[in-house]
Amino acid sequence: MYKIGSFFLIFLFLFSCTLGCNNNQSNKLIVGMELAYPPFETKDEAGNPMGVSVDLAYALGEYLGKEVHIENINWDGLIPSLQTGKVDVIISSMTITDEREEVVDFTIPYAHSYLALLVNNKSGVHSIEDLNQNDRVIAVKKGTTGYIYATTSLTKATVHSFTSENACVMEVVQGKADAFIYDQLTIYRQNQSHPDKTEAILIPFQDGENWGMALKPGRTELLDQMNSFIQEFKDDGGFDVITKKYLEKEKEIFDSLGFPWFF
Amino acid sequence: MVLVVILFIGFFWISIHLIDLKLNFQTLIPFRQRFFMGFLMTLMISIGSLGVSLLIGLVAAITQECKVLFIRYISLAYVHIIRGTPLLVQIYFFYYIIGTAWGMDNRYIAGILILSMFEGAYIAEIIRGGIQSIERQKYEIALSLGLSSVQTFRFVTFPLVLSRILPALAGQFSSIIKDSSLLSVIAVIELTQTTQEVSADNFRMFENYIFVGFLYFLLTFSVSILSRYLERRFQYERRA
Repeated sequence: MYKIGSFFLIFLFLFSCTLGCNNNQSNKLIVGMELAYPPFETKDEAGNPMGVSVDLAYALGEYLGKEVHIENINWDGLIPSLQTGKVDVIISSMTITDEREEVVDFTIPYAHSYLALLVNNKSGVHSIEDLNQNDRVIAVKKGTTGYIYATTSLTKATVHSFTSENACVMEVVQGKADAFIYDQLTIYRQNQSHPDKTEAILIPFQDGENWGMALKPGRTELLDQMNSFIQEFKDDGGFDVITKKYLEKEKEIFDSLGFPWFF
Repeated sequence: MVLVVILFIGFFWISIHLIDLKLNFQTLIPFRQRFFMGFLMTLMISIGSLGVSLLIGLVAAITQECKVLFIRYISLAYVHIIRGTPLLVQIYFFYYIIGTAWGMDNRYIAGILILSMFEGAYIAEIIRGGIQSIERQKYEIALSLGLSSVQTFRFVTFPLVLSRILPALAGQFSSIIKDSSLLSVIAVIELTQTTQEVSADNFRMFENYIFVGFLYFLLTFSVSILSRYLERRFQYERRA
């Protein structure tokens, strides 16, 4: 009897702690992002969050009058963190898709991007059509729009999914995979760092993707505020400042290639 | 026993309710085929690795006592390096560098070999410990009974060592099953990789992982039951 009683006490103790710990988030805005996507979400030399989304998050916090805390979370874990209330908002270059909209609410788009291909230069792949063949192997990052595109549109090919972008690049560099599907900017940058083994195919092969901030369904007040923040930030030229700060060289290259810019 | 089970389930149930999480396991049904394939793959990798790692472990355990210094040092270095580095590092290193250099492109076979090499080092230590634990008198008795060296091995060393290392071996086999989940980083489509992929499709991370945890437990629990049975059997033989 005594044992059961003590079990019960431990139980109560844990219970009360969990309740107590949930109550002090009112003036904080916890923003979830995966700090593994330079220059949008990355870390500076001291290990602090840095990048386009980070600046955007702080600007949002200023607009809402809330203190911003950035949580670094794996890509797979972002939406679950939102679902369980570990974070209030996701700002992580997330594309608005139908599948994701079933579980989260998105703001209006704040940026646009296109998928591109990083191919091994011995693979003989010159366009997206070359990839939808039985003997083709495609590397993608789990849960990204590249993954969704590969598993729904390139059904003949073998799709291997990895947790990190670098593993995908490694597969292409070593010729284990024919192509890696990701956004134009990353593909361009990865091609620059492996020029002798890879080729970048940057010509868009599908409609543009819209990036939005995600939040838990039902928080309409916050959603409205965030939408007006994005609109205001766009109108005030906030994205030009960000482009200048992080992406000046890339913008020049995109302009010279005639590709549409993110913002 | 029942109380403990109820207590655990109650604790998790309350925790889930505290964070207002609604679990719906029916969302897993459309993916049953993929989970089944993943389960089979984990099972096959584990059994394959068990066989190969037992072999590697046995060779490494014996060569550690080898009189040729060169071979003994190779074996010692192998055990120390493997036991001293994380499996994740070994998977990346052996798959992308060694595997590519020597043309090992099949990621399933590479996965089994890497896992076997990792577990083999632990098994080597288990076997070595088992052999060393046998008292000198046992050999003296065998000698005085006039047993040849083959007979000594057949009737003394082998059954004794086996019954002594079985519990540790069973534990190691459970580790193989759990460690195989790390092969997901090189896109071996086993249980964990399946879970991650399905999570990317249905966004039901918790349902998926709880279910998969249960599947892993099913595998490791059957291993411990089997090992209990074998232990009893070998003890019986010894007494007879």
